[in-house]
Amino acid sequence: MPLHRGAMTGSHRTKVIACATVMEEIRPLLREGIQTQTLDFGLHSKPEALRKILQDAVNASEGLADTVVLGYGLCSLAVVGLRSRTCQLVVPRVDDCIGLFLGSQQAYREQSRRHPGTYYLTKGWIEAGDSPFHQQAELAKRHGHQRARRMAALSLNNYTRVAFIRTGEGGLGGYRAWAKRAGVEFGLRYEELEGSSRLIRKLVHGPWDDEILVVCPGREIRFEDFLPEGERNGEAVG
Amino acid sequence: MAKPLVEAIAAMREEDALRIADQLLDGGEDPLLILEDCREALGVIGRRFEEGDCFIPELIMAGEMLSQISTRVKPHLKDQGKEPVKLGRVVMGTVQGDIHNIGKDIVVFMLDASGFEVQDLGVDVPPARFVEAVRQFEPQVVGLSGFLTLAYDPMRRTVEALAEAGLRSQVKVMIGGGLVDDRIRRYTGADAYGKDAAAAVALAKGFTGA
Repeated sequence: MPLHRGAMTGSHRTKVIACATVMEEIRPLLREGIQTQTLDFGLHSKPEALRKILQDAVNASEGLADTVVLGYGLCSLAVVGLRSRTCQLVVPRVDDCIGLFLGSQQAYREQSRRHPGTYYLTKGWIEAGDSPFHQQAELAKRHGHQRARRMAALSLNNYTRVAFIRTGEGGLGGYRAWAKRAGVEFGLRYEELEGSSRLIRKLVHGPWDDEILVVCPGREIRFEDFLPEGERNGEAVG
Repeated sequence: MAKPLVEAIAAMREEDALRIADQLLDGGEDPLLILEDCREALGVIGRRFEEGDCFIPELIMAGEMLSQISTRVKPHLKDQGKEPVKLGRVVMGTVQGDIHNIGKDIVVFMLDASGFEVQDLGVDVPPARFVEAVRQFEPQVVGLSGFLTLAYDPMRRTVEALAEAGLRSQVKVMIGGGLVDDRIRRYTGADAYGKDAAAAVALAKGFTGA
């Protein structure tokens, strides 16, 4: 497995495409001159639409960038099938952004194994305003307060915990309080998890080792590329 | 006419929907038509979701109403001798590490309404629990549900556990829930995948020759 240079070295032109919540964590780590494109957070629940928009964004990067860094994980297979004729695509090998925020896929899997019924929140997610907690007001407008509450309670059925991931640099007080209140309101245990910029840092600065998938121009991102080494049926890296 | 039921479900008026269903049943309405209304309402809500005009909690509310109406309708089907001939047995569950139940619940509802005997193992179901259920319930079909991509590995481990227990050849395994396709089917070792509840019913019918 060759180690690849990170995105920021040499005269390489790099573009970072990420959803709003991930971009929030990536942006402070970027050096000047890196192009960015932020996509709507809400697309995560519509993977086929997300794939199309991602492919359009990748296509639009051709000629302007040599490397496109995607701030997405497997994300309901939304990245599977993406390709660029001229750019190499760089993607973290994680199921979704929770692995990015926790610093590794392993940390995410461990959390998931120990606490499957976890609703994760970060500063970015709270700002994005797309959760059953946020939707209360709109649902109450549509159906009345009581029904809205019942809907939220049903949505959180089987959830036992709200985990607020502490990401970025300070200034989280209001967000932590919001997450805690959301948990308490729906009878969920509240916990905080220490976030880590380790994997995001590696994604933008390298080294692109086995945690980071690098796909050469012309080659499609495959589901198998996200499997552990040895199960990939041919390497995807260019 | 049972259309007010479609409207009540589509408008998320749970109490009204249940009351209308009860009134229809008491008035001697064909229970199968009531289930048909439920399916129609689900179609309306599904389309709304596709168009971005429906929140996930609303989808979940719809699933809950269907489940409650289905529970009320069942005894009437039996009483009227309209209970469909059982087409086969299906064990359903959301795999270990995943606690999402709504997709699975809708599949259970649809399988049940289509005439399958369904054993629902719930959510976060360890592979050993599926093995045990297959031994005891002897289904022809096992349905593995999962919403997250994290569910692919437990789906695979469940199929492996069935093989290790010597039960793999006795059952057909179908997967669904979040985003699954033929690559995921191959990865997990399942026999088939379904995009929605109607697909799950079609697969189960195909597997049982119904």
